[in-house]
Amino acid sequence: MIDESVRWLDDRLGVAKGGRTLLDKIFPDHWSFMLGEIALYSFVVLIATGVFLSLYYIPSAHEVVYHGSYLPLRGQRVSEAYSSSVGLSFDVKSGLLMRQTHHWAADVFLGSIAVHMARIFFTGAFRKPRELNWIVGITMLMLGIVNGFLGYSLPDDLVSGTGIRIAYSIIESIPLVGSYLGFFLFGGNYPGNGIIIPRFYILHVLILPVIIGALIAVHLGLLVKQKHTQFPGKGKTEHNVVGTPMFPTFAAKTTGFMFMTSAVLLLLGGFAQINPIWQFGQYEPYQISYAVQPDWYMGWLDGALRIMPSWEWVGWGHTIPLEIFLPAIVFAGLTFNFFYAWPHIEKRYTKDLATHNLLDRPRDRPKRTAFGAAMLMFYFMLFCASSTDVMANFFNVSLNTVLWTFRVIVFAIPIITYFVTFRICNEMRAAEGIGKRKRAMVVNRSAEGAYSTTPTEPRPGDGAHELDPIPVPTYINLTPEELETAPGVRRVMR
Amino acid sequence: MRSLFRGRYLVPALLLVSVGLFGLLVFSPGSSSAASDSGSGSSGFANSGSSGSGLKTSSGQFPETPGSSSSPSQSPSGNGIYNVSLPKSFIAPGQALFAANCASCHGSDASGTARAPNLQSLGAGTVDFWVSTGRMPLADSSIQATGKRPRFNKLQSLEISAYVQSLAPGGVKVPTVNLSNANVGNGARLFTLNCAACHTITGAGDALANGAYAPSLHYASTRQIVEAVRSGPGNMPHFGPGNISNAEVRDITAYVHSYIQHPVNRGGFGLGGIGPVGEGFVGLLIGVGALMLVCFWIGDRT
Amino acid sequence: MSDEPITAEPTAPLPVAALDDPHQLPYARHPGRAQAVAAVSMTIGILGCIGFGIAYWVSDQTQWEAITLGVGLLGLGFGLTAWGKYLMAQGPFVEERHPFNSSEEEVKAMTAAITQRGGIVVGRRKLLGGLFAIGSLAFGVVAAFPLIRSLGPKPGRTLFVTNWKKNSPLVTVDGRPVHQNDLEVGGVLTVFPKGFAGSSPDQTILLRLEELTPEDPPLTLQSPGRSDWTALGYVAYSKMCTHLGCPVGLYQEQTVELVCPCHQSIFNVLAGAVPEFGPAPRPLPQLPIKVRDGFLFAQDGYNQPIGPGFWERP
Repeated sequence: MIDESVRWLDDRLGVAKGGRTLLDKIFPDHWSFMLGEIALYSFVVLIATGVFLSLYYIPSAHEVVYHGSYLPLRGQRVSEAYSSSVGLSFDVKSGLLMRQTHHWAADVFLGSIAVHMARIFFTGAFRKPRELNWIVGITMLMLGIVNGFLGYSLPDDLVSGTGIRIAYSIIESIPLVGSYLGFFLFGGNYPGNGIIIPRFYILHVLILPVIIGALIAVHLGLLVKQKHTQFPGKGKTEHNVVGTPMFPTFAAKTTGFMFMTSAVLLLLGGFAQINPIWQFGQYEPYQISYAVQPDWYMGWLDGALRIMPSWEWVGWGHTIPLEIFLPAIVFAGLTFNFFYAWPHIEKRYTKDLATHNLLDRPRDRPKRTAFGAAMLMFYFMLFCASSTDVMANFFNVSLNTVLWTFRVIVFAIPIITYFVTFRICNEMRAAEGIGKRKRAMVVNRSAEGAYSTTPTEPRPGDGAHELDPIPVPTYINLTPEELETAPGVRRVMR
Repeated sequence: MRSLFRGRYLVPALLLVSVGLFGLLVFSPGSSSAASDSGSGSSGFANSGSSGSGLKTSSGQFPETPGSSSSPSQSPSGNGIYNVSLPKSFIAPGQALFAANCASCHGSDASGTARAPNLQSLGAGTVDFWVSTGRMPLADSSIQATGKRPRFNKLQSLEISAYVQSLAPGGVKVPTVNLSNANVGNGARLFTLNCAACHTITGAGDALANGAYAPSLHYASTRQIVEAVRSGPGNMPHFGPGNISNAEVRDITAYVHSYIQHPVNRGGFGLGGIGPVGEGFVGLLIGVGALMLVCFWIGDRT
Repeated sequence: MSDEPITAEPTAPLPVAALDDPHQLPYARHPGRAQAVAAVSMTIGILGCIGFGIAYWVSDQTQWEAITLGVGLLGLGFGLTAWGKYLMAQGPFVEERHPFNSSEEEVKAMTAAITQRGGIVVGRRKLLGGLFAIGSLAFGVVAAFPLIRSLGPKPGRTLFVTNWKKNSPLVTVDGRPVHQNDLEVGGVLTVFPKGFAGSSPDQTILLRLEELTPEDPPLTLQSPGRSDWTALGYVAYSKMCTHLGCPVGLYQEQTVELVCPCHQSIFNVLAGAVPEFGPAPRPLPQLPIKVRDGFLFAQDGYNQPIGPGFWERP
């Protein structure tokens, strides 16, 4: 039956040769190569749960009276967006599970992109020929952050509405065109004519996911075409890929991983409450709560806004609010431009124009590793700076002290991190056998009394690494007799 | 396929799992609320074990006139807050307690010294708030007083309050609070407008400027809530009857006493009620962390 | 099949491996045990998925739905992954990389195809090439018009002027007029001009700093020329933070400060809501108020645009 299906497809599409090449595709097995899969499968969960949510959510700022299950809101005038979101949480079967899983999946999606990007950076996988893939990846990071912001703003609750107000002011702060852009996007002076919710919605469910989906296809397509990188090891060269084949081994592992990712996200979605919008109430522009932060992946921007001194440039009848423009527009733009440009920057610095299919161990490139660690720390410090009020409350320290502390450590800690990481890398390189699993030695004594050692058997996984890699076998244990016989028989070229 | 059933671990594991699942399903605390959750919808208290209060679907606890067609800004008649005149018999023991514990800073006639302010005409309710929340006696007046285990019991607190009230008229009185006609919807609205900016929308409290902080609302009794709203302790503003009427204070108190102190955490563990800060840490450390551990298991180390 | 089979030249023989080739051996030292573990896991997975079905119908509890479906998928996933990791051939297998580059001739030919063929054509018809380029540019520019300009109105007066006018009555968010006795000392209230309750740019915060009578001298705020902007101890400021527009709802009565909850800008009320800490660049605009017949009114609108800064702000 399989044979007939393969022939049926091959007669129409010619897929046998390419299909077998695809099934034989080799995937190296290192654990850090799976971080991108976390992102991929979180995206799948986002789509699945998102489709469910989109069947119930109403993208409208039009006011209705809430008639659902949550008592304190009963009889209140709220927007349809808010009412339908609370309805999803209380009155739709498994609605809250889907909503929370969707939100956790978004957080984990961006978190896994961050660790995946760090892995790519620290192992030098962005070098030629993979600069294109790096650019695609950074674009997906950017779009993912934006889409996340749009998504959690859809329920029109007090906390996310405050974020929308801040976004409007950031847009407004752009010199020359800011007020125009703000009025255009929102349909008037803040809060606008209510069009912002449906605009966020269509961007969030259609425009951006389509772009991200297409970029994922490009990202994976480049990966298939250029083949995955690998760490140096026995039998691994710049001109091969060593690992396990797509079918059946990698397919089993990655499909299982997809199930497990979904499971973790569902367990979070059912047991860890996230964004309890019914406790926040409908957004009103004259109401505010304390301890309002954006979701974690926007935290670095909020932290930058908090620690920025209150410089504003006023002159010749115009104002440029530098305390908004510099952290939210200029700094954000510099960040992403710097990320985009990194392969080029590193090439200029190292003068290395060769093709690389073997990865660096991070310790072998101490300057790059230290610099990357310092940058990570910098953004992490900014992320922590977005919770100044929560920290001041938690540690019983004055708000003013916390803020000034952050103004200092946002720069001091990355510098310290650079030197510490550099040192650690060099020490790890100097230490013998570090990171390798040591084999137990059996001590033997000969009859004459001489001691000798023999190593024990390697652990199952490690033993395989001592073999020479072979091509993926097409036939296992038998060769069909057809191959020996007469002409006129379909043969496949390798 | 036959080997599946010969596995030594298989049968005991199956037994264990099925018994466990069966037991959990039958004895789960959530099953009793299932019907009211999806059906009548008369109560917002979807019981989840994580709220920890043991509150069942309690449509009896804060009965809202169901199907009420009145808009949230109207409250039923009877405003629920009644000022109490403390018995004269409280004054003498109150004076003794005051002399032993408070006079050293506030002066024997509560008129204040360099260390502590004048308490006269602040009212019994003000004093009762500070004493019953444990904020007074205060060891160090240079930092904001913290609510802690009170040194005096409720009766003693009222006695001290009665004594201070007897020194001068006026001020906030000790209230009795009847929440039976409260409108929690109205309370939610008023809470958001007047209280959330300092205490946060979930009542978790947060740091204010220059070393002050707005405390968490999770431990206040209904009487303390009313006393605090009216007397504006410390940096808290004074909300008098012209600003928030008695009926409105009753609604706010009902909302705080129910949905703030026993929040509907239908989604699971509340993660502290501080919003995306806690969610970010959980998502990254537990979500991404667990999945990275799975990657570590699946993949190789070279 | 009726059509002629396609024959192609066979090349290298296709690789064959024996079943007991060490590359075909699974990872697990005791495959039976590994299979048992995977089987148990998958069985738990099946039970979990069925459990989700039951939980969905019987109880609408989020936690039950999550634990059943989560454990179900986890069991299935763990079983499948364990199968792949422990029970399938562990290799290692190798695949050759072939360089991407085409030969030098091919690259030159590609470049030539574009430059020479294209060059001849465009070189001969420079006019057409230029016109099309200009046309594409023109289209690109005008295509932006409906995309951007149709979105909304141009910024107008509302950026500079609110609905507060001379003699606007102060009302609460419920539309109730504010009486002079409404606030005690240390009281705070959000107010709007009558008819515009709830309107975002008009949001104003009213504070009572002292209880004064008409005979008392007015509040002394350290802002020059504004001694008659307060009334009977009441002072009013725009509630919209000059940093990013959040409502400045946090009033500290003892230190007489307004704090913006978003990024903790601290405004000194007695100095005219001047920011003393944090990122806010300008003081909160003050609304001049007066009392007439016991009720509060605005003397005039704000004397400057409220809220965050923008380019056209003078």
